[in-house]
Amino acid sequence: MRPDFHPFVIPFCAGMAFVLGYCFFGMIHILFQLPRRDRRHFLLSLVNPKTAWKNIRDIFLNCLIHVKLWKRNPLLGYMHSSIAFGWFMLILLGHVEVLLFAPGHLSKFYYPIFFNFFVAKSEETIGGAVLFFLMDFFLLVVLSGITLAIIKRVRSLWFGMRRTTRPSVLDMIGLYSLWAIFPLRLLAEGFTAHISGGSFLIIPLNWIVRGFLGNEVNMVPTWWAYSIALGVFMAVLPFTRYMHIPSEMLLIPFRNAGLCIRHPRKGFAKIQVLSCPGCGVCIDACPMSAKKANIKDTTVYLNRQIRRRNEKRIEEISDKCMMCGKCTALCQVGVDGPLIRQAQRSMRKYAVEKDYSAAVSPTPVEKAEVAYFAGCMTQLTPGISRAVESLLKKAGVEYAFIDREGGLCCGRPLMMSGRIKEARELMQKTKESILASGCKTLLLSCPICYRVFREEYELEGIEVIHHSVYFYNLVKEGRLKPTRSDIHFVYHDPCELGRGSGIYEEPRKLLRTSCYLVEAAKNREESVCCSGSLGSLTLGFADRKELTEAALRNLTSDIPDAIATACPLCRSTFRRYSDIPVSDIAEVIDSRT
Amino acid sequence: MKENVVIIGGGIAGIEAAKQLLLLGYSPIIVEKQDHLGGHVAEWHKLFPDMTPAKEIVDQMTSEIGGANVFLETTVSSLNRLSNGYSVVLSNGIAIVCRAILIATGFHLFDAEKKEEYGYGVYNQVITNRDLEHWFNSGKDVRIDGREMKKIGFVHCVGSRDLKAGNSQCSKVCCVTAIKQAIEMKEKFPDAEIYCFYMDLRLFGKKYEDFYINAQKDYGIHFIRGRVSEVGEKIDGSLQVKAEDTLSGKPLKVTLDLLVLMAGMVCNPRTTEIARMIHADIDTDGFLRSRNNIYNIMESDRPGIFLAGTCTGTKTVPETVAEARAAVLSIHNYLSR
Repeated sequence: MRPDFHPFVIPFCAGMAFVLGYCFFGMIHILFQLPRRDRRHFLLSLVNPKTAWKNIRDIFLNCLIHVKLWKRNPLLGYMHSSIAFGWFMLILLGHVEVLLFAPGHLSKFYYPIFFNFFVAKSEETIGGAVLFFLMDFFLLVVLSGITLAIIKRVRSLWFGMRRTTRPSVLDMIGLYSLWAIFPLRLLAEGFTAHISGGSFLIIPLNWIVRGFLGNEVNMVPTWWAYSIALGVFMAVLPFTRYMHIPSEMLLIPFRNAGLCIRHPRKGFAKIQVLSCPGCGVCIDACPMSAKKANIKDTTVYLNRQIRRRNEKRIEEISDKCMMCGKCTALCQVGVDGPLIRQAQRSMRKYAVEKDYSAAVSPTPVEKAEVAYFAGCMTQLTPGISRAVESLLKKAGVEYAFIDREGGLCCGRPLMMSGRIKEARELMQKTKESILASGCKTLLLSCPICYRVFREEYELEGIEVIHHSVYFYNLVKEGRLKPTRSDIHFVYHDPCELGRGSGIYEEPRKLLRTSCYLVEAAKNREESVCCSGSLGSLTLGFADRKELTEAALRNLTSDIPDAIATACPLCRSTFRRYSDIPVSDIAEVIDSRT
Repeated sequence: MKENVVIIGGGIAGIEAAKQLLLLGYSPIIVEKQDHLGGHVAEWHKLFPDMTPAKEIVDQMTSEIGGANVFLETTVSSLNRLSNGYSVVLSNGIAIVCRAILIATGFHLFDAEKKEEYGYGVYNQVITNRDLEHWFNSGKDVRIDGREMKKIGFVHCVGSRDLKAGNSQCSKVCCVTAIKQAIEMKEKFPDAEIYCFYMDLRLFGKKYEDFYINAQKDYGIHFIRGRVSEVGEKIDGSLQVKAEDTLSGKPLKVTLDLLVLMAGMVCNPRTTEIARMIHADIDTDGFLRSRNNIYNIMESDRPGIFLAGTCTGTKTVPETVAEARAAVLSIHNYLSR
């Protein structure tokens, strides 16, 4: 048994104390940034057994095992879970060792970390041998993960990532210290193994290092180096992307409590920004990345600039985004880039305040149980509203075209531009006119309207339904009988319908009733935005053209004869540059019924 | 032996150039893809500002090129650079060697179906400027014949000055064409109210402004400053047009019996194909690039390749004719060098 304390533990202890303190005070700060109602709601959710269990499960599955990453790319998943879970097990088993062999020292929190230095000879008992084996095993697991991490720096494509972020200087310090921790631990334990024991990994290492280098001189310096590496990693952690490790453990309960982003820099948004691991999955995901100049406008860079408080860039990045939500769909920690941007946009002060409280929504003339609301986008594409009406007539549905003579906007474009108050005013007017129609079913041919009606309108007693789903139901009921043609269509998932509302299957099933369906290279939640989006405030037509052409290349990878979509905006955007016909799903079905 | 000059395109630029080349003692060869000469002008009824019948102009011009070789319903299959000139292979199998080529391929009328919000191809009562000229000429159009015309609308700038439609250029002739057609419609339907929806009126040419004043004073045509946002169809088949009157700052709804879209000029896709054959440059506006946009507009960067008419940008008839003559002078200077 060696002494209880050695000065080499100081770097680790200092780093650990700093990071724990930082995280604790940071957490308190963020909790106080939450609006009072949200904070109450969050704290109550922690004691709700259902949410609490969900929190524990999500933290275990996402922070330690990284299930989502495994699904994305097994190699990437293994790399992360080997480091996270392996490290976690090393810490846990370290505590078990202390508990078993040196119970008096449990209060010294450096003891489990440097156990092999302080406690000697314990592998002779069965329990000790098993523990030592497990310790070596998990150290090996972590080392394999570190090896993969080093390979990933050079060959990111093997891990399914075409482009990654360029790390900042502090990130590099964090990265190198993280890489150094485990080889140094291996070496340190290797030097000490003849005294304090070990298993299949460090005992043979001990033979080798003892043979070549001699032990006594190297032992203490390697333990110093191990401790310093740990200390450096802990000290820089709050200022690097590794902050995502502690942050995610708060992000998950926040999300499970159902909080919303109310301020672009505070509370929930802050924890989202800090939870961004800077992996750069969103770079490949972002439709704007088709143009290289836009790479720095992806969510990962937004988060970085928010952390750096670079106001000019934050504004630029926030305004440029098309709000397609693909970064969020693919983000491994679930950072909601579009909502952070929307909150950022809502901070802007406009010279002229818009006032929609005086806007008059026309009272619908026609009345029926099924109300069709075309919305602005379908008004601009009369081909679609015609097809919808024609199908409704063919199915014998009694319907009212409630905005035949024009109506007000659904409010979603104003929402996306961050003008929430104005959007609410407009939405109130539109809601009144929908209620005045006295309908039971609200049929929509525009996914933009569909999403906002479903999420924001609280139309009690009215079923809000998108036309792709509605017509599919009519086909199922046998009220529409489309015939099949041998045209090969590719279906484009509109952002607001797919990622925004989770409707992927019905449009496909509906299309299959009347044509052959091929898939785009990237589809469903990975579908590429058509780039006609109303979300972007600054992208010009020339910029959008290139992005639309890239989206079309993705769509036509399987050489379809024609493109079908379920959104009037996607349809007109693609039509502008597509070499093959582009139709709305209603037009496709109508032409075959 | 007279020297050959190949003219690609038998519109008014091509015809005028052929005439001038004949006078200078060359042998012009016109390659025209349609079955008649005269291009777009031949499809028009009357020309502003003096209401000159288009047929008269085209017939007169065509009568003066008796000595030229004209290949109708023929296109250029390939164009190859020789050491001192070009070899031109036509779709009818004829190959011509020449030192100079005049590209006079003209423009393409914007496909109004692309502006779906205006309802061309969707609603029955929406037609284009060309459809209307066709009706003036033939007197046959189911969309107009036998219908009551109480209110007629004209939409300016359809596919022109419209980045969304991919064309930023002004087509120059639509403002005055709309006025001309509005007057003609008023003459045919004296009781009809006629509305022109414009962004701004670009009446730069000789007597255009007088034309505009006449349209208001003598014909009572209404000019509304504001783009049409969308067109809908009512149950009775009439059209409902939504626009904003930007002078009064108020949104506006009008019910119309006929809507005429002033489709603009866009670059002819055939021009781009030909340019590709000889590696000629395309300018940033999509039209062919002249050596210089100020004083060498009829010369290209390629030796022996000359340009005339709307293949380099939007132009009026007199501008096109003048440019054809200028191009011939350039060709003459080039060949007698």
